[in-house]
Amino acid sequence: MSELSDIETAERQICVKCGALIAKEHRFCKSCGARQSAEKPEESDNKWALFKQVAFFYSIYIGVCGLVSFTHIFNTILLFVSVEVVLAGTAVAFFAYNWAENKKLLVWRNFSWQKLAAYGAIAVAGSFLVHYSVGWLNVTIFSRDEQYYSIFAGTKGAAFYIVFFTAVTPALFEELAFRGYLLQTLLKIADTEQAVYVSAFLFAIIHLSFISLFWLIPFALFIGFVRIKENTFWYGVFFHFCFNLTGCLFAWL
Amino acid sequence: MENALPVPPIEKCAHCYAEIKNDDVYCTNCGYPLQGTEFEQKSFIANLEVIGIDMAEYNKKVRAAANTLYYLSGVFILSGIINFFILKDNADVLAIVIPTFILAMLFLLLGSYCPKKPLACLVSGLALYIIVQVINAFDSPMSLAKGIIIKIFIIGYLIKGIKSAIELEKMKKENNII
Repeated sequence: MSELSDIETAERQICVKCGALIAKEHRFCKSCGARQSAEKPEESDNKWALFKQVAFFYSIYIGVCGLVSFTHIFNTILLFVSVEVVLAGTAVAFFAYNWAENKKLLVWRNFSWQKLAAYGAIAVAGSFLVHYSVGWLNVTIFSRDEQYYSIFAGTKGAAFYIVFFTAVTPALFEELAFRGYLLQTLLKIADTEQAVYVSAFLFAIIHLSFISLFWLIPFALFIGFVRIKENTFWYGVFFHFCFNLTGCLFAWL
Repeated sequence: MENALPVPPIEKCAHCYAEIKNDDVYCTNCGYPLQGTEFEQKSFIANLEVIGIDMAEYNKKVRAAANTLYYLSGVFILSGIINFFILKDNADVLAIVIPTFILAMLFLLLGSYCPKKPLACLVSGLALYIIVQVINAFDSPMSLAKGIIIKIFIIGYLIKGIKSAIELEKMKKENNII
């Protein structure tokens, strides 16, 4: 009798193996001895395979970003756009590969103007901070962006292209690649915290500028945790867009 | 009649000493077969020992990978110092030396956080190392061949560490080890 009342007062769970009713805090079933593990073993078996998939995805990024940063063969508009298309295509392809699970990230539940404005304001403030601290460090961080300006200089509607390629496409496709595909896959390999750390670090170092890491890592960590907290990737896209747009305006004005 | 078969009250698990109830067949804290045969109880303990040995083996590989990160940190500090003295009179000396020291710091940080977050640190370390190699290769393609055996060893240690870290986390989850 005393046991019954115990179970009634405490939270209960059902044994994963034999279905007996047991107390929530029990780590093993008292009648069959089965471990009450949160994760099903068969789900963790393919972690190594997922890791290799992530490595493949990241190798494509390293290759393309390396080519763009260290060779000067992408100096015409056509080649430049084709690089952007390859990176965007990679992001979309990997994201869509696990569409059934990833599509829920694209849902924007609990949309809130206040939150959007707050994230936008943080982004603009962050961009100001980075701009002035970098100016102080006397390092040109938007060196790749300057390349954009020279490519589009003299073109009709240059301003539109510059905003499009420095603020719109990176916000959308970098987020899709790193907070979309990469973080989502890492969450299946590691716990939430480690997944955010890894995705942020990989995002930061792919920019191939070690001095810029001081702001890239906090930037990516922030978006990573926002993505986890809000359960949608659109706030991150908006944050990224505001940040890059502010940086772009700085370089421009 | 009631006193004919006195059952000694079981209060603590013989294996983990957690409090238990009389009619529990298995310990609710460690899964020890309280009412099992002697063979079942012995094989339970043997099984735990096997898990312990496996985990020790994986931990060893993770530690080796962490040491690889420390080693890399040392290499970059050394090369930064050497470069500084070679290029002392060059105007761009800081632009070359500072990134080297940043790399050394990053590897040091990753190495020191490795015991806490092994998977995150080792994956980050491997990615960083490969990116450094790629950057160097773009700079001078011949640099890839320099010390190629050491490079393969470094990457091998890191990959083994990552594999072990994945296994460790899996084992911890499956066996409810916190």
